[in-house]
Amino acid sequence: MSLTPAHVAGVGMIRFGKYPADVTLERMATAAARAALSDAGADLTSIDGLYVGHVFGGPVAGQRIAAQLGLDGKPVSNHENYCASGATAIREAWVALAAGLHDVVLVIGVEKMTDRISGGVRPDPGDLDAAVGYVMAAGHAMSARRYLADHGATREQIAMVAVKNHAHSVGNPYAQYQKPISLEQVLGARQIAEPLGLLDCSPISDGAAAVVLCSPAGLRRLGVTASAPRVLGVGLVSGAARDVLGVEVAGAGLHRAAPVSRPGSCPASAPTRSTWSRCTTASPSPRSSGWRGSGSSRAVSARPGPPPGTPPSAAGCRSTPAAACSPAATRLAPPVRPRSASSPGSCAGPRALVRSTGPGPRWPTARAAP
Amino acid sequence: MTLADPAARPFREGLLCLDPPGLLASRCTTCGAKAFPARTFCPACRAVDGLVEAELSAQGRVYTFTVVRQAPPGVEMPYVLAQIDLPADDLRLMATVVGVAPEDVVIDLPVTLDLVPFGVDADGAPLLGYAFRATPAEEASR
Repeated sequence: MSLTPAHVAGVGMIRFGKYPADVTLERMATAAARAALSDAGADLTSIDGLYVGHVFGGPVAGQRIAAQLGLDGKPVSNHENYCASGATAIREAWVALAAGLHDVVLVIGVEKMTDRISGGVRPDPGDLDAAVGYVMAAGHAMSARRYLADHGATREQIAMVAVKNHAHSVGNPYAQYQKPISLEQVLGARQIAEPLGLLDCSPISDGAAAVVLCSPAGLRRLGVTASAPRVLGVGLVSGAARDVLGVEVAGAGLHRAAPVSRPGSCPASAPTRSTWSRCTTASPSPRSSGWRGSGSSRAVSARPGPPPGTPPSAAGCRSTPAAACSPAATRLAPPVRPRSASSPGSCAGPRALVRSTGPGPRWPTARAAP
Repeated sequence: MTLADPAARPFREGLLCLDPPGLLASRCTTCGAKAFPARTFCPACRAVDGLVEAELSAQGRVYTFTVVRQAPPGVEMPYVLAQIDLPADDLRLMATVVGVAPEDVVIDLPVTLDLVPFGVDADGAPLLGYAFRATPAEEASR
């Protein structure tokens, strides 16, 4: 079987946060999409199809987005796989490119949670797991508890995940919270689902991210001459009936890590300022510091660097769930500074992994608020 | 628990029997694997023929657990949610653990199936669900 390669021609993202009602799902998606189109140097007429991953957007959210974005009439599909929805949308777009059906597609991962989710995310009411009281945080808590027992790990080691993640957020203009937290803060936070506390859990968030994926022919259509990051693989599995969490929950479409990887990526441990800049593109000199991780071959961007003052991007994460930490090269100032989300919500850890490599996309100028 | 109301019925059909309390599974006559809730295929060998109903052992052990202290509105908290191993059936399932203080729940705690109230149906008739209760020490040691 011969697959047409898929490349990332452009990316866009808005800052995750808790936005007021007038910052709608459609507005957030449109803002992220315009940033990605701009990043790719694509106009609306270059797009063959739109793939939208969301869970709580309601029926045909993708078509509503298309109607605001200017892609109405194009093939639009909606992809719901719970935490893996954005990455599943990427996968389906990748399949279409690989099959030669499309050459330039736009993928959006978007969620408006803060006005419709309270206290946590749970399964469909018809799911037996829901009947026994399952909420997402509880599932991760049970995994953590057993992990501690099986591997002799400590609560502090689990808490270091949150410490590390927050260390990554510092200087990431798209992160919902952009401040470091201490081990003591994580351990002392109020309990959500023991042993996990508030700071171990992901917040309930609003946000959107988008990518333009292209076949080689699509890159030519857009006039992209520099090499663009290539999607090396996308994995998708679902929960099995033999799993404790039945198909209904785990079957929410868990992506697992793609089998192909490259050396050199974000450090798994809590980063120092220098490791953060090594795995991201720190201004003012992205071409000299960004994307390369530690020693990978994805270092050289043939594209122009950002204008002075362009903030660092979140590019280069080892795993990039579409709606959670897509390589982001465009800063979008949020319409308001996000308020603190008061409750943890969705899946505590992204399970949707999409891998790409190669030089990063170019760095566009800042865009207006969504 | 005793079935105070003879009209009480399981909250979902085909899920449990009431006297004595038992969870209803499917068993594959081809490979012997059981599945809960009952399924029309065998998750182990994928057979779709020869599946029969089987009642599961009421004796289990806590494989892992959490104390849920934040949940969507309308849920009484805290509660202990656990994955329970049923060694006799080679099955693991998820259920709440009741009748024990959250701080006393540990991995490998012996537990016994019990019926618990599960609200009422559209006609106001009581419904029953299931949970696991810490097995009294004298029974657990037998």
